[in-house]
Amino acid sequence: MNFFNLPGQRKPDIDGLAARKDIAGLVKALRYNDIEVQTRIATILGSFGAEATDELILALKKKDKNIRLGIIEALTQIKDPRAVTALITTLHDESSEVRWEAAIALGETGDSRAIEPLVHALKDHDKYVRYGAAFALKKIGWAPADDEQKAFYFAGMQEWKTVELIGKPAVPALSHILNDRDGIVRQKAIEILGEIGDPGATPALIRSLGDASSEVRWKAVLSSQRCGIRLLHLPRGLSRRPKMTKNPLIAGVLNFMIPGMGYAYIGKWWGLMIYEVDIALTIWIFKYWGETNTYELLFPIYLLLAVHAYYITKKMPEPPI
Amino acid sequence: MIEGGKKPGMSLGRFLEREKPDIHALTQARDIRGLIVSLGHRDFDVQWRAARALGTMGADATLPLIHILGYPDINTRLGAIEALGAIQDPRAVGVLAALLASHETNELRWAAALALGEIGDKTGTPSLLAALRDNDRYVRYGAAKALEQVGWSAETDEDRAFYSIALQDWDAIKKLGKSATGPLIDMLRERHPAIRAQIVEILGTIGGDEAKKCCERVLRDPDGNVRWRAVLSSRQCGVPTSYLPLQISRRQRTGPSAIGATILNFFFLGIGYDYAGKWWGLLILETYMMLLTLAQLQLGPFMPFLIFYPVTALFAFQTYFMIQREAEMAG
Repeated sequence: MNFFNLPGQRKPDIDGLAARKDIAGLVKALRYNDIEVQTRIATILGSFGAEATDELILALKKKDKNIRLGIIEALTQIKDPRAVTALITTLHDESSEVRWEAAIALGETGDSRAIEPLVHALKDHDKYVRYGAAFALKKIGWAPADDEQKAFYFAGMQEWKTVELIGKPAVPALSHILNDRDGIVRQKAIEILGEIGDPGATPALIRSLGDASSEVRWKAVLSSQRCGIRLLHLPRGLSRRPKMTKNPLIAGVLNFMIPGMGYAYIGKWWGLMIYEVDIALTIWIFKYWGETNTYELLFPIYLLLAVHAYYITKKMPEPPI
Repeated sequence: MIEGGKKPGMSLGRFLEREKPDIHALTQARDIRGLIVSLGHRDFDVQWRAARALGTMGADATLPLIHILGYPDINTRLGAIEALGAIQDPRAVGVLAALLASHETNELRWAAALALGEIGDKTGTPSLLAALRDNDRYVRYGAAKALEQVGWSAETDEDRAFYSIALQDWDAIKKLGKSATGPLIDMLRERHPAIRAQIVEILGTIGGDEAKKCCERVLRDPDGNVRWRAVLSSRQCGVPTSYLPLQISRRQRTGPSAIGATILNFFFLGIGYDYAGKWWGLLILETYMMLLTLAQLQLGPFMPFLIFYPVTALFAFQTYFMIQREAEMAG
């Protein structure tokens, strides 16, 4: 029993559903969170052939990601040309896995209608989708129209050496990749931009100085030197990086209002302990000494805690750039 | 202000737009003050263009720009330094050198080093040489590049070594051989583990007594990759292999202390788990504290502890062994 399967969700009777050719039932069963079950259902759906195509295409609108993935797998197997348009639409799916799988499926169809959308998918922000699209295009037998497209293609394939050899026309593709969520991919793109050394990469390199990854930022400095950007302009770009520092004022105020929380805010594990101790203490002093006395005793302490949190936050060293 | 009954959102948008200074007009009017104010604008593009424009204002802008170096806003100061570098007025050298020597913000030191290079005045050289030994790699790199611009060439092997380390020109450092050992050891204070690992690797190839001692020390580095490099380099330096495990075991532990977590869990069940990095520690702490308070309200302040402490003691034992096991697995 998988944790993610809701209680009461029983393992679907795949054989029964398959014997009845219950497509709707099988599609619904794709929700069951077990990869073996899902793969089996997809294979069975695929074995129904072209007669299942229409119903499967309709079911591509389902909210559950697993259903869409299973259907695309089945459609890949069926190879019905009617499914191409629907698969092209799924290239814009919100889930990157679905987009990836759609790209692979379109490659399997070998249909030339898929070329333009796949070329577009080479600019996806997810590296898996780009990789899938590049492979699909190769499978369809597509050839890039110009060097810029060629660069997008090989960047999708992650064949960095070839991208570097393309030279200047590869700058748009590499600049585009700098939006990738994977820091290592961004780093690679920056390095190649440096190798190419074209001043056209300036905006992208300056933007990368504010990157969240410290290695990407450093590589951007080195690459910008090869592109002829004046060093003098770089520090301001670097100052745009996301800062990890905490606000001393917030820590102070928090510690005064909710003693201990200010410490928790700056990441001290014992902040919550102080918070708990404070609550227990307050209850006890309240019970034995009465309300006014409690405030008189505790407020000065809170004030001290607030000042302390303020100062230690202010003195916290900045992480290395 | 809401104008002519339009939606507030609309007028706010227009208000912000109007606030964006016209850098071109300010430049035409040679409005140095206006340009300096624009340096602190939140729009990066405006900052950028204002700094460039100020750089074309010539020596007239030098004194106002020096004046605002004491201003708290970092973008304003960075822009001012950039403009001073472009103006190349030697009057700015003193203040930039002082900033390079003392300022705590890395970007500002970096910018100051670069501006000194642009100005090209030899009086800035001593502070640039000192900046080659800065803790921050950007500042070191900037200082090395600036020294190139000033037309400096290294007179001693030590300076040459610091210069090559600043440029991260590792091949050049290897060629320097033993004379680079001192600077390399000094630079082990670098906070980026990747650079420390690189330094230890080179120390291994250079070898020698000093490098040997240093490799032994780095065996206790908090970073796993750096420690591993140190193991490899130690062998090259001739540290006996049998000596390594003991040194490694004395490394700075970054993980939670087993005893600390045990004591914490004994007194405040749950906080020990929290300290060990388990998110559910707080859940247990909250439950425990609530039960404790309820019990205290029923039985008085001390009685409940007689029941609770034996229970928390069991959890404390479990915590100790859990952390020991996890530390062993983490290596």
